[in-house]
Amino acid sequence: MTFLTPLLAGIAAAIAVPSLVILYFLKLRREDVEVSTTLLWKKSIQDLQANAPFQRLRKNLLLLLQLLILAAALFALAQPQFASLTAGSNRQIIMIDRSASMQSTDESDGKGGYASRLDAAKKQAKAIVDALREPSFFDPGGGDQAMVIAFDSTAEVRQQFTTDKRLLRDSIDAITASDAPTALGEAMRLAKAHAPVRRYVDDRDGAVRVLEGVSGGEPVTMQLWSDGRLPDADKAAPGLEDSLVFHRVGSMESENVGLVGLRAERAFDDPAKLSIYVAVQSTAKTPRSVDVELTIDDNIVGVKSVDLPAAEMSQLTAAGAPPTGTPSDNSPAGTTPAASSSTPAAAKPRPIPKGNGVVFSLDRREGAVAQVRLLTAPRGAEASAGRPTDALAADDRGWLVIPPAKKLSVAVVTRGNLFLSTALGGLPLAKLDTLSPDDFERRVRSGKTGEYDVMVLDGVLPSATTDAPINPSTGLPPGRYLVMNASPAPAIVDRGKAPSSGIVDWVRDHPTLRYVSLDNLMIAESRIVDISPGSGGKALVLSDRGPAVVELASADSRAIVIPFDVAQSTWPFDVSFVVFLASSVNYLGDTAASTGQTSRMVQTGGTLSDRLASGASDARIEVPGGERFSLAASPDGQVAFAPVRSAGIYRIRWDGAAAATDESSGGSPSRAYAANLLDAQESDTTPDDQVVLASRTVQAAQGGPASGQRKLWPWLILAGLCIMMLEWFIYNRKVYV
Amino acid sequence: MLRSTSQTPPRKIEDLLDSRLIASLTGLDISSRKIFAGKLQGERRSKKRGQSVEFADHRQYVSGDDLRRIDWNIFGRLDRLFLKLFLEEEDLSLHLVLDASGSGATGEPNKYRFMQKAAMSLGYIGLVNLNRVAATIIGGAHAPDDRAPADADARDDSSLIEGGLSSIRDLRGRRRTQDLSRFMCSVVPGGSANFKDAARRIVLQRRGKGVMVVFSDFFMKDGYEEGLRLLVGRGYDVFCVQVLSPQEIEPPITGDLRLRDIEDADMAEVTISAPLLKRYKENLAAYCGQLQLFCARREITLLTVRSDTEVQTLLLDYMRKRGLLT
Repeated sequence: MTFLTPLLAGIAAAIAVPSLVILYFLKLRREDVEVSTTLLWKKSIQDLQANAPFQRLRKNLLLLLQLLILAAALFALAQPQFASLTAGSNRQIIMIDRSASMQSTDESDGKGGYASRLDAAKKQAKAIVDALREPSFFDPGGGDQAMVIAFDSTAEVRQQFTTDKRLLRDSIDAITASDAPTALGEAMRLAKAHAPVRRYVDDRDGAVRVLEGVSGGEPVTMQLWSDGRLPDADKAAPGLEDSLVFHRVGSMESENVGLVGLRAERAFDDPAKLSIYVAVQSTAKTPRSVDVELTIDDNIVGVKSVDLPAAEMSQLTAAGAPPTGTPSDNSPAGTTPAASSSTPAAAKPRPIPKGNGVVFSLDRREGAVAQVRLLTAPRGAEASAGRPTDALAADDRGWLVIPPAKKLSVAVVTRGNLFLSTALGGLPLAKLDTLSPDDFERRVRSGKTGEYDVMVLDGVLPSATTDAPINPSTGLPPGRYLVMNASPAPAIVDRGKAPSSGIVDWVRDHPTLRYVSLDNLMIAESRIVDISPGSGGKALVLSDRGPAVVELASADSRAIVIPFDVAQSTWPFDVSFVVFLASSVNYLGDTAASTGQTSRMVQTGGTLSDRLASGASDARIEVPGGERFSLAASPDGQVAFAPVRSAGIYRIRWDGAAAATDESSGGSPSRAYAANLLDAQESDTTPDDQVVLASRTVQAAQGGPASGQRKLWPWLILAGLCIMMLEWFIYNRKVYV
Repeated sequence: MLRSTSQTPPRKIEDLLDSRLIASLTGLDISSRKIFAGKLQGERRSKKRGQSVEFADHRQYVSGDDLRRIDWNIFGRLDRLFLKLFLEEEDLSLHLVLDASGSGATGEPNKYRFMQKAAMSLGYIGLVNLNRVAATIIGGAHAPDDRAPADADARDDSSLIEGGLSSIRDLRGRRRTQDLSRFMCSVVPGGSANFKDAARRIVLQRRGKGVMVVFSDFFMKDGYEEGLRLLVGRGYDVFCVQVLSPQEIEPPITGDLRLRDIEDADMAEVTISAPLLKRYKENLAAYCGQLQLFCARREITLLTVRSDTEVQTLLLDYMRKRGLLT
């Protein structure tokens, strides 16, 4: 038990108690009454005193009771509280995981049903808040402070440090689950950011220096609620003096079936042939089969059953082994996502989820919005089991935005290049126009380049004199360009011709170069170019004379520049040229490709960014809940929306030119995006009992949050009132018995 | 119990005896259970043979007897001289004793006032019926002069009656009514009275036997027993009238009080409570019971009356039943 204001109560006691006792020593001021004789009265008093043995005590009893009342009031004034928090710190950071796996409904709701892990975490967090020491009545700055951080893949401070329990409770209540995966790092950085930096004065030169890694101020206690599926926990480290209490939510027994991969592909040779690959994983300890339902544009087009093997129990692994694998690595159908999913060091063996896949093949040339749903409702014997057979519903659905079979409109600005037009002519393009340099100049000047997704500039550059909006760093107007036989200044500085050269190296995992080999490429007449620093240029291919292929990127334009004349090389005769051209056009024309993801697909918790047509204005996005937000589009039509919290279809509408694949309704084009969780880590909902941080391993706290830190003064006041009633009763008994 | 609020003492006979009361008193006479020797010829049978119309006995003539009383008829028949004896009718001595101690000043109606009224009524009856009436007031103080307005609180001890006793005696006949009432009005209650001493002095001063009526509340700190024993031992037919005010019977007080004895300024600190009141009433009843028992043992007739009783009721009802009045 602690007292918030013991001194004040002591002073009050020093005044009040002697006063009360002195008052008692004062004689009762009696009213004088003349009577005919006191004979009978004296006799009566004597009789009564003789008959009532406690007569003398009664007065003292009243004094005693009054002292008790006073004591209760004084104790209340001291504001006693039951100290109950295990941590000594009076600054608490409440960190609540709100990632997708926290939606798992495997916690008891106290009424025999199931509640989500997030609800359980919020309930426990509110218990912690209730248990905080209140600021004392006379010292409002005192008391325990708490801060609320909600995190999924990103973290946000929902409530700054405060002692106001109502604010804290409200902010905890306001936390809603998202469909995003988990990442502890940002939350930890946020939590640590609130500790002041510890400085010290260096004795040698008297300078004030920051002590690296050590934060100042009072140490904080971080109360972390999670199910322990924290893939990046090993990179997060709380402050040295901070303590972290990990509250595990979720049941070890919960089983979950979830989508972990979703991908649509068109056959290269026949774009109408659409394959949709679905990867499913299960953490159930028994084999089970679930139905996968594919819906395209709200019509069910197929249901396929997938058999999921039983999850294997992991062997005990050495504590502290970092998890491996990347959650965004969506395995195509047929492979087991579990193989790549991480197995964080676990004290107890845990089921390693096993997966399987299914492929839907269909003929569809047009674009579509496809939805894949796992039918996890229990069937047959499973239905009789009480537990939900699927803890997490959020990973049972996935969406795909399948672009139409044909894609891009390309303009070739050339004075005539046989290789180029032949190679591009073989690509499956929506439109291939050949423009003369004058045409191009005109279009640049009038800003009508947005009609084409990619422009191939063959030895042509927009003249610097044009009043077109040319980006000063790349020397190109907004848009996507494949520049050949030219070097846009000032990003690339052309230092003149050079004799023949060979290829030394290339960025093999760049989307444009992924499927090509440049070993045999010889350049008869190469050009020596330098990428000016700060221009954002990046050499994709290096010859022995310097960069041979350069990628330029700026806010409003992106270009792949081949400074030499391909006609003066062996490249046009190599198959890699065509592949490179095709990849480059695809890459430049499709921004989604540059992120390495399936087009128009974004993972929850990430950022939705895309390039609309140049000059798009009044862009707005409709999120799955039906809410709309307006987006600011950059001049080249780049838009971004973050954070993507919930899975589903996001649709961006804008005013302006529409790209070839865009739908158009009511005059304004729109484009749909699918946001999916598709995270094997999140779908593996078996909670972990420990969190392995960079600096320490934290076991889950047992027994839930301590209940206590009750304020006692209301009870003391109540007790005082009761004693007062008793005192009044006794006083009256003296008169009326 | 409490000091009376209206402290105007009676000044005239009209204050004590109103015409209505007088009217109701005609026809009443004092009686005594004992037959006492009177001094003057009165209307009461005496033990002595004497002059009256009522024949009592015959006796032989002895020389010196009044010849007028010889029964000549007997002499004619028996030729012997017999005297015819008649019952002597005598007067009765009525002695009224009032306790004018300070406690008489309390009560609503005033206890002493009640005693005065009752005593005056009795005295009137006695006077009208040609009895010898004496009155003694124990204690008390001189009534304030008419010229100086009454101020009870300003009275000092010097006004107390020295010797603690004042009396008037040998009143006889209706004409002395004024004297009796003047005497009654001359004393107001005050101070404390020593009943025992007063009783001794009454007894020593007595002239013959008779009926004695003692008015008091009998709340005497040093006891009433000695005094009463003295009075009754000297052959008085003693009547005691204990006058209690309604406030003494049902004390109308509450709270934390300091009770001051009006006679000797004795203090008693009490916190009035239900058990205390109950105990007080029990004590009062016991006290009265004890007095009753004491009186009964000594052939004293005790009447306990409340001071709010009508004097008529006292006289015509209670006292008649007790045989004091016929």
